[in-house]
Formats: sequence, C-alpha cells, structure tokens
Amino acid sequence: MKSNRQPPKWAVRFFLWYCNDHLSDAVLGDLLELYSRRLNTMSKRKADWLFILNVVLFLQPFAMKKRSVANNSNHIAMFRNFIKIAWRNVTNHKMYAAIKIGGFALGIAVCLLIALFVKSELNVDQHYKNGDRIYRVIISSSDPAENWKGTSFPPAAAKVIKENFPEVEKAGRLIAFDGWFDAGSNLFRPAGQEMNMFETRFAYADQELIEMLEIPMVYGNRAYALSAPNSILISKRKADKYFPDQDPVGKTVILNDNESNPYVIGGVMENLRNSHLEGLDFFITLSELEFWEGEQDDWCCNNYSPYIQVRASTNPKELEEKLLKIRDDYIIKQIEAEGDPWAETARKYLALELQPVGDIHLHSKDISDFLVVSDLRIVWLFSAIAVFILLLACINFINLSTAKSANRAKEIGLRKVVGSFRSNLIKQFLTESVFFSAISVLLGTLLAWLAMPYFNLIAGKDLSFPITEWWLAPTLILLTVIIGLLSGLYPSFYLSAFKPIAVLRGTPSQGSKSSFLRSGLVVFQFTTSIVLIVGAFVVYRQMQFILHKKLGFDKEQVVMIHGTNTLKDKLPVFKDELLRLGEVAHAAVSSYLPIEGTRRNGTSFWKDAPSKTGPGVSGQFWRVDPDFINAMGMKLVEGRTFSNDIASDSAAIVINETMAKGLGLENPVGQRIMNWNWSTWVVVGVVEDFHFEKMKSKIKALGMARSQWGDIMSVKLNTRDMTNTLASITDVWERFQPNQPIRYTFLDESYARMYDDVKRTGNLFSIFATFGIIVACLGLFGLSAFLVEQRSKEICIRNGLGASIRIIMQLLTLNFLKMVLISVLLAVPVGWYIMNGWLQDFEYRIPVTLDVFALAGLLVVLIAALTVSFESIKAALVNPANKLRSE
Amino acid sequence: MKGTHLGEFEELVLLTIAILYDDAYGLSIVDELERQTDRNVMLSSVHKTLVRLEDKGYLKSHVGGATKLRGGRGKRLYQLTQAGITVLNKVKALRDSMWEQVPKIIWQGVGS
Repeated sequence: MKSNRQPPKWAVRFFLWYCNDHLSDAVLGDLLELYSRRLNTMSKRKADWLFILNVVLFLQPFAMKKRSVANNSNHIAMFRNFIKIAWRNVTNHKMYAAIKIGGFALGIAVCLLIALFVKSELNVDQHYKNGDRIYRVIISSSDPAENWKGTSFPPAAAKVIKENFPEVEKAGRLIAFDGWFDAGSNLFRPAGQEMNMFETRFAYADQELIEMLEIPMVYGNRAYALSAPNSILISKRKADKYFPDQDPVGKTVILNDNESNPYVIGGVMENLRNSHLEGLDFFITLSELEFWEGEQDDWCCNNYSPYIQVRASTNPKELEEKLLKIRDDYIIKQIEAEGDPWAETARKYLALELQPVGDIHLHSKDISDFLVVSDLRIVWLFSAIAVFILLLACINFINLSTAKSANRAKEIGLRKVVGSFRSNLIKQFLTESVFFSAISVLLGTLLAWLAMPYFNLIAGKDLSFPITEWWLAPTLILLTVIIGLLSGLYPSFYLSAFKPIAVLRGTPSQGSKSSFLRSGLVVFQFTTSIVLIVGAFVVYRQMQFILHKKLGFDKEQVVMIHGTNTLKDKLPVFKDELLRLGEVAHAAVSSYLPIEGTRRNGTSFWKDAPSKTGPGVSGQFWRVDPDFINAMGMKLVEGRTFSNDIASDSAAIVINETMAKGLGLENPVGQRIMNWNWSTWVVVGVVEDFHFEKMKSKIKALGMARSQWGDIMSVKLNTRDMTNTLASITDVWERFQPNQPIRYTFLDESYARMYDDVKRTGNLFSIFATFGIIVACLGLFGLSAFLVEQRSKEICIRNGLGASIRIIMQLLTLNFLKMVLISVLLAVPVGWYIMNGWLQDFEYRIPVTLDVFALAGLLVVLIAALTVSFESIKAALVNPANKLRSE
Repeated sequence: MKGTHLGEFEELVLLTIAILYDDAYGLSIVDELERQTDRNVMLSSVHKTLVRLEDKGYLKSHVGGATKLRGGRGKRLYQLTQAGITVLNKVKALRDSMWEQVPKIIWQGVGS
C-alpha cells in the first residue's frame, strides 16, 4: 500500500546521485511533498511522470555535485606517469618496441587496405534512391539435369512485363555483350574527322534504364538523353578525349566508318563508379532500334536483359509468381511454335526471378550475364585475411609483452609495495598497450596511404584513401582503442598478478619459461602464414597450368589484326597481300576466335530429322575463313576443312568432337545436321576439341562454316623476327587504310589476359602471405632474442665448458622449430580445404598435391630457422669471459 | 555580476520569504509566489534562485521541520539576512524615487 504511494525508485536514486549535499535533502523533501499533493488530484501515473520531469529539470549546474578538482588532476598525473614509463620502455628496448610497433603497423595497414576494398565492393549499386524497388529480371531453370540462370530475354519482354503488370513502374533493357552489333568495341570518330580510334566498352540501353540507374550526367538531361533514335551517351573521360573543354551534346559521331548510320550525342555522363555497369563508356540507345526486320516483335532470340522498377509496397515474390504468365503466354508459346518438344520440360522448370539491383555485383556468380561482376566469396576471403593478419599482429604484442615480463617484474613488485592496487596495474598496462596501438595506427594509416596506388594496381581497383571523409578519424580512434584493449588484456592481467615478495626476492618469474599459451599463439601465427603461402602456390600453379595446357590450338606466333571489317570489300585483297609476305604462313579472317572478347553466339544443333527432337545440343556456330583451322594450328580428327574452291562447301560445316558426341554421330563426315532456323549443313570434318571459353567451363559443342568476312585477321608467322614482320604488316595495312592506325594484338597475350583475375588473386595471395610471414617472423625474432638474452649466462657457461656452436644452436632453436613443424601439420588440412574449394571454379584444374605443402612448409621452416638462429649464433659466438666478467 | 543588483524574480522571491516569515522553504515559496503573481512557477527555478541569493548573502538557511509527508526529509528554511533587508529597502527606495519623478501628466490618461 505504502510503496504504491512512492515515486519511481530509480528517479529518486538518480536525483540523489547527481544532487549535491547542500540541496539534496531539502529539494527531495519538496519534491516528495509535491508528489504526495499531486497524488490527491491526479493518477499515480501522471504524478510519476511529473516527478520524473521535476528530477530532470533539476539537472542543472547549481544542483549538481562538485567534482573534486584535486582528484581529477591526480588521475591525469597517473596517466601521464603511465605514458612516461611506457615511453622509457620504448627507448630502453628499442628493438622490441620496433618489432611491436612495426608488426602492429604492418598488420593495421594491410587491414585498412582490405577494409577499404571490401567497403567499396559492398557499396556497389547501393546508392539509388529507389534501389529497393529496382530489379533485374532473370530467367532460371530448375531442371535437375541442367539448371541455369540467365539474363537474356526477347526484345519485347520488358515492354510486355510493363504493360501487363500495373505494379511495374518502369522497364528498361540492356545489351552489354561484346560482339552484338555495336556493343563491345568499335572504331570511333567524331563526324568531320578522318582518323578512326578504337574504343571499347559500348553497350545498348533504353532511356528508362539510365533513369532507373540514376546515371549521373555532366552535360545533357538524363530525362531524354537516350530518347531520340540513334542517340548515344558517352562518359566524361571519352568526352574529354574527343571534345576537350566543350559540351558535345548534339554532335555527331561515326562508328566503324558507317557514315550512313551516324549517332548523335544525347548526353555526357560522369565516369561510372560504384555501379555494376562501371566498365561501360558508351550507351547506344535502343529507342526505335531494330536489328533486323521484325526483330522487336520476334520472340525467337534472347538478347536483351530487362530491368524493372516496381511501385512502392510491391512484393517481389508475388510479382515473380505473376511473371509466370509471361513464361506461359510468350516464351513457351514460342518454343511450341518452333515445334520443340522441350516446351513440356520448360513449363515444368522455367521461372522468372527478380534480382535486386544491389545484389547484381556480388551475387551473380551463377547467373550468366555479360557484365564484370565480383564474387562475394572473394570479399569474405579478404575480410578473413584482414582479420587474421590483424590477429597475428596482436599476438606478437601479447607474446612479446608477456615474454619481456621479467624486465618489468621489479617495477610491478615495487608499485605493489608502495600501495598500488591490482586494478591500477591493469589500468597501467592497458594504457601502455593503447599507447602502442595509437602509434601503430598512425604509422599503419600512413603506410596504407602510401601503399594505396600499388594496391590499386594489384587489385585492379580504383580506390582512394578517404582522408576527407568524416568517419575516418572516429573509426581510427575506435580501432586504436579496440586493438589496444584486445592485445593488452592478457598481458595486463598476467603482469599484474605477480607476487611482490617473489619478484623482489629475485625468484625467476614465469615469464622466462615458455608458456603453453605463448607457444600456441606462435603455432597459430605460422599456421596462418603457411595457409596463405599454400594459397599463393596453388593459384600460381593453376595459372601455369592454364598457360601451358594443350589447348587444341596453337597460340604462339599469331598476330591478330583488329578492325578488318572496315576494309569492306578490299578484305580478300588485303589477305592476299599479307600472304605474299614471306614471313606469313597463314592468314585467316573471322570475328570468332578462341579467346574472350571476340564474337560469340548461342544456338542449338539437331541431327537432320523431319522435326526437331529435344532441346538439341546447345553450342556455338562460328563463321570462319577456310584457312582458320590451319592458322590456329587446330587438328582435324576426321575429314577436311571447307574450301573456297568447292561451291557446295557453302553448306559445309566442321564440327568439334563434343558436338559429334553430343549429336551421337558415329561417322560424322557426310552426315547432315540442322541449325535452329532449320538450315541444314553437311559435316565435312571433325576438329579436335579446343578451348574457346575460359577453363572455368567445359568445352561446349561448336560448328564452323565458311565465310570470307570478319573483324579480325589472324596471321600465323613462321619467323621469330617480330619487329620486321610487324613493320611490313603495318606497311600493307597503311596502303589499304591510311586513316586508321593499325591495331594488333598477340594471340598468346590476349589468351593470358583472359586470366588476369586469376593472376590478380595469385598476386594478392603472395602479398598477404608475405605480410603474414613478416609479421610472424618479427614476433619469432623478438621471442628468440629474448630467450637468448635470458639464457645468456647459461650459454656462456656451456660455452666455457666446451659446448660447440652446433649444440648451443640446437638448444636455442629446436623448441621454435618444433612449433613451426606443428604449424605445418595443422596447415595441411586447412589449406587443402580452402584451395580445393577455390579450384572447384575451374572445370580444368590441377589437383592439390602434398608437394605444395611440403614446399610451403620447407620455406617457412627455413625462414623461421634463419630468424631464430640469427640471435642464437650471436649468443654462441660471444666470448664467454666478457659476458661473465660483467658481474 | 555578483553585485547588489537584484533581478525581478529574485526580488519577488525575497519578498515572498519576507511574507512567509518563519515557514519559507522551497515548496511554500512556490505556492505563495503562484498565489501572489498568478503565474506558473517552477520548483527548480525557485531553488536555483535561493541558492544564488544565499551566495549573495541576502539569505541564510537552516534545516528543520521534517514530516512524514516529505518522506522524513527536512526542509531548508530560509530567512532574510540584514543585507537582504537592506537590499529590498534599497530597491523600494529607488522605485519610489523614480515614481516621484514621473510627470503627473502621464497618469492622467493621455487622450487618444
């Protein structure tokens, strides 16, 4: 009953906590009197509220306790003393301090760089105003026999989706795969200029797409930059290149010398950053564009990637359900119309999905699109590495601090004797470690800032150090405190636990013995380093495997001359001229080449039969020069290649082994096969399977038919004298095309470039491994130096009694080497698991063999032995008399 | 600023304490002020003023008069000091003198 008449206890307690003694009793009395008076006129609830309000209102300087000033300055003096002692320790033991701080700074620098990298990866496509309502439409098949996801739809799909579903607000399409008409690379020149320049990064896009994705504009208006037919949007860097210091909107540009189809610049966009379309410099409008007659309404061909923006409060899952109607009414109808019995399977397994735009960059690994996307696993892997390297640095700190404890033991004992509490000592050592971490964070930040350009180079990124960002300073301070406390926690408890009597009497402290924990930490450090080294080795080996595998074609000594399509009808003559050069063995023209970035298509083949049966064998259909197979050094398994001299060869096809197997052809030569549009081809030859896609996927079916035209002339040389040969080829080119600089690449280099990402991963692994091992060795060096110092007298006596250097070395290093060996054993399963997982990406891969671990282990043991023996030898070589005489 | 200057609210508080004579403590001052001036007075601002006036030497205080109603807490009872009485008189004298100097015509309702 009585308690019911009381105001909230916590409020009273709070009041008594802050209020000074002069007022607290009187005021609280007043408040309580007022409260009881209020209870008579209003509800308890309200009275409580008013009481709390009163308490809060009293929170003013006049009512507050005066904090004792004297007490305050005492604290500051104490901290000042802590830091002074810490500084003396640094200057007295310069080497240990350097190892502590240097290792820390290295770890922090690596950690910072990786954090910035991860942050930029996570930021891609996160900045759109309506980002949560923008989706990319995906088609997926859950067929257990062959499940896949793709982004390609027929041209009208986007329009149909928008018209059929009121919840779809905007819909825009993108075509971003190289080789689709003008997407990919082109020769580019402003109208009125003669010189053509080679430009890459073209894509087709709808006006609505650039609105949805909020493409930032420099010149022109985003609302209609691409709305006019034949308009083109170019990036700022390209505008600066061709139209320096002017607004190029409205200017005309010519692609591939095609004067009959000029493009008008509709706008200039900022260089795209933080977007999955980051790689693109040119957007050609899709407005009123038809690639062939009737193309826009034909549901035959899937080339467009639709994006939609839905209205607020639309449930994407429900919309996905509704989109099945599009599948049934259009896509399956088309399959049925083609007489393809696949329709039944398709009805069962096909589905349309919506992928949030923010997921495209990191969550598209299993989706076949044509964009440069990243991989969430890389982000995870890097974050893990960052954490591990930071841990390694913290471990160094812990190890060195506890190992050096003997030197501090007397100080601790004395402090305790003059009345220091344990809590004060803990505070002291925590202050010390925060002090160390502050210096290290400063150094580490500086290091990261200096290393940024190199990191960008290696990671293929364009990051900048966020010096001007508001969050940098608070983050760094937080980092300092967290790292300082984390690494100082164990040493501070360990050191502060020393018993003053034992310490002052001179009993050897536990610090000099090798503690179990310390060994464990060293093992952890080296395990991590070995795993990183194994990673670097495996990636390197896979890269070597890729570069030296038998590919089914010969990539050496082939020069590819690009842009031959601009020669138009002079192309055959150009080829003849090239062949007249003595150094040229073969020349073949084609747009299709077995390296990435050349033209691709997707089609299906069937055995010749009255109607198509099943989904057919999906594969590529290439148009190549009759000399292509020779120029590429491919091997015919059966039959012959087609020829320009045999008229009926216009319907001849050379297939690869996979195709022959896929179609179930026993004796392929002479058989007839069908293409998707019912055209039939006669197989004249079978070529050995060759790699025309990345090693990440299996070799697919391929058919090649005759053509004389194409974008690239592949020239097989029979000489090693590159300089002169290239000069004479250039001469020929300039005779034909004086207005356009020749552009050639080497097949082997282009091939290697396909695997730049693998190489990059390898480089990063090597660098992290290097850092890991440096940090670990710094720690090991410190520990061994300390141990040697501890046992210096013992060593001298042993020396004096006739021990050889070898025995002393053994004595000092064996223990450490044991730890490293244990690390090797631990690292084997971990490294195997991680790297085997990485290799699963490749259809063609090396096995992870034990020799990799042996090699990595040997390397680490060697480095560790060197590190440890440095101090040991020094100790063993000292003249014992000098050392022993000193006391 | 800790001169003899007296703010309006300070003056009212001093007068209220004078009126209440031997029962002037926080809450009673608030009650009396509210009754006299018909305005809403906050307990915290009264206490703040009391602390300041005591600092200036116009008030002295002692503790007393605990009641059950107050949770057994005492009251801080305030009394005017000699200085407090002087300053009140000074203020009044100043007012009176200034009133004297206002021309009579002001009070005769300026025709409008």
